[in-house]
Amino acid sequence: MTPLERRYRWLLLAYPRAYRAAHGRELLGVLVDCAAPGRTVPEFREAAGLVAGGLRERVRHGAGGNAWWDGLHLGVTAVLALQLATLLPYAGSIPLWVALSGVALLAVLRGYARPALPVVLLTGVKATAIASGWQPVDVTLLPVYPSFLAREPLFGTSGPVVVALGYGLAWFGLLALAFRGGTVRTRSWCWWGAVPLAAWAGPAWMPEGTPYPIGLSRLVLELALLCLGVWAARTARDPRWAVAAACYLTAVSLQLGEHLTGLTNQHLGYWGLLAFLTVAAAFVPFGYRRQVPD
Amino acid sequence: MFSSMPRGTDEVSEPMYYVLTALLDGPLHGHAIMKVILELSGGRVKPSVGTLYGILERLGDRGLIVVDREETVNGRARRYFRISDSGQGVLEAEARRMQEAAALVMKRSTAHA
Repeated sequence: MTPLERRYRWLLLAYPRAYRAAHGRELLGVLVDCAAPGRTVPEFREAAGLVAGGLRERVRHGAGGNAWWDGLHLGVTAVLALQLATLLPYAGSIPLWVALSGVALLAVLRGYARPALPVVLLTGVKATAIASGWQPVDVTLLPVYPSFLAREPLFGTSGPVVVALGYGLAWFGLLALAFRGGTVRTRSWCWWGAVPLAAWAGPAWMPEGTPYPIGLSRLVLELALLCLGVWAARTARDPRWAVAAACYLTAVSLQLGEHLTGLTNQHLGYWGLLAFLTVAAAFVPFGYRRQVPD
Repeated sequence: MFSSMPRGTDEVSEPMYYVLTALLDGPLHGHAIMKVILELSGGRVKPSVGTLYGILERLGDRGLIVVDREETVNGRARRYFRISDSGQGVLEAEARRMQEAAALVMKRSTAHA
C-alpha cells in the first residue's frame, strides 16, 4: 500500500462502517486514479470532499426508519448521557449507581429499550432519594462530595422533584420505545466521549457562587451537537434531530426552571441558544422548494 | 404541470446536472463520470471524489440513476451507473427550464441591440 492510499484510507474513516465495507475499495480506487503521479499527500480539496461526503453519508444512513421514534430514542440517549455525566464526578462515593447509570446508557446505545427500563428506574429512585435526603434503604452519606471534575456536592442545588422529572422523562420515553413494537437501532460509541465533557464543570465562565453553574466544556459540546443536528436536519430534510433536541431541551429546561429566580443573563443566553438551535432544527427541513417543470 | 423539487438533497444542482448528462450516452463508472464531467464543462465543474459519490448516492436514492453492473478491473471494484427513465425526464425538464430562463435574457438582449 502506498503512503497516498494509506492516507486516503484514514480519510475514508469519515464514512460509516457499512458504507466503507460496501464501497470503500471503489472510492479508494477512484481517488488513486484521480491523483497526480508521484503524489503522496491527498489534495486538500479531495480531503475536504471526503470528510464532508463521509458526514453526509452518515446523515443519510442515520435518516432511516421512523423519524419520530428514532428522534425520541436519540433524545433519550442524550438525556441519559447527561444524567450519567451528572453522577460521574461522584463515582468515588457512589460507584454502584454511577455504574448502573452507565449500564442504562449502554443498553440504550445498543437498542435494548426494555432491559434499560428497570435500570433507569432504579437509578432514578436512588438519585431522587439523594436529592431529597430521604433514604429508607441503601443509605449514602450526604452530602456526596465530588472526587473529580465537579466542585459542588451532588444535587447540592437541585430538589428531588426536578431530579425525578428528569429521570421520568427518560423512563417514559424508553417505555414508549419498548412497547411500540419494532426494533430500536444502535447508536454510536462516541456518546461515551461526550459524558466526561458534559461532566466537567470547567472551564468556569459563570461567576463564583452562581446557582446551577454550567461548565464551558458542556456548553461547547451541547452547541456543537445541536449545530450538527441542524445541519443533519437540513441535509436529510428530516424531523428526527428536532425531536431529539426538543427532548434534551426539556430536560435542561427542567433543571434551569428550578433556579428561575437566581438565573443569570449567562443562563438565559445559554438556554436561548439551545432553544434557538432546537427551533432551527425543526424548521430547516421545510425550507424553500423550487418548482421544476415535468 | 409542476412537480415539487426541493433544494439541497432533492434539487438538480449543477454537478448533478452534469452527472446525469454524462450518463446519457450509456453506463459509466465513477472515474469515467469524473472525466466526462470535466470534458463537458470545459474543466469548470470538477467535483471531488467524495462530492461525486455523494451525488451518485443521492441520485440513486431518488431513482434518477441505477447501478447497471459491478465489475472488478485490475483489482479495483467498479460500479457502473445508468440513468433511469425518471432521471432522463428530470434532466430534460431541467434543461427546458434553463433554456426558457436563458431565452428571457437573450430575447431582451437581441431587442436592445
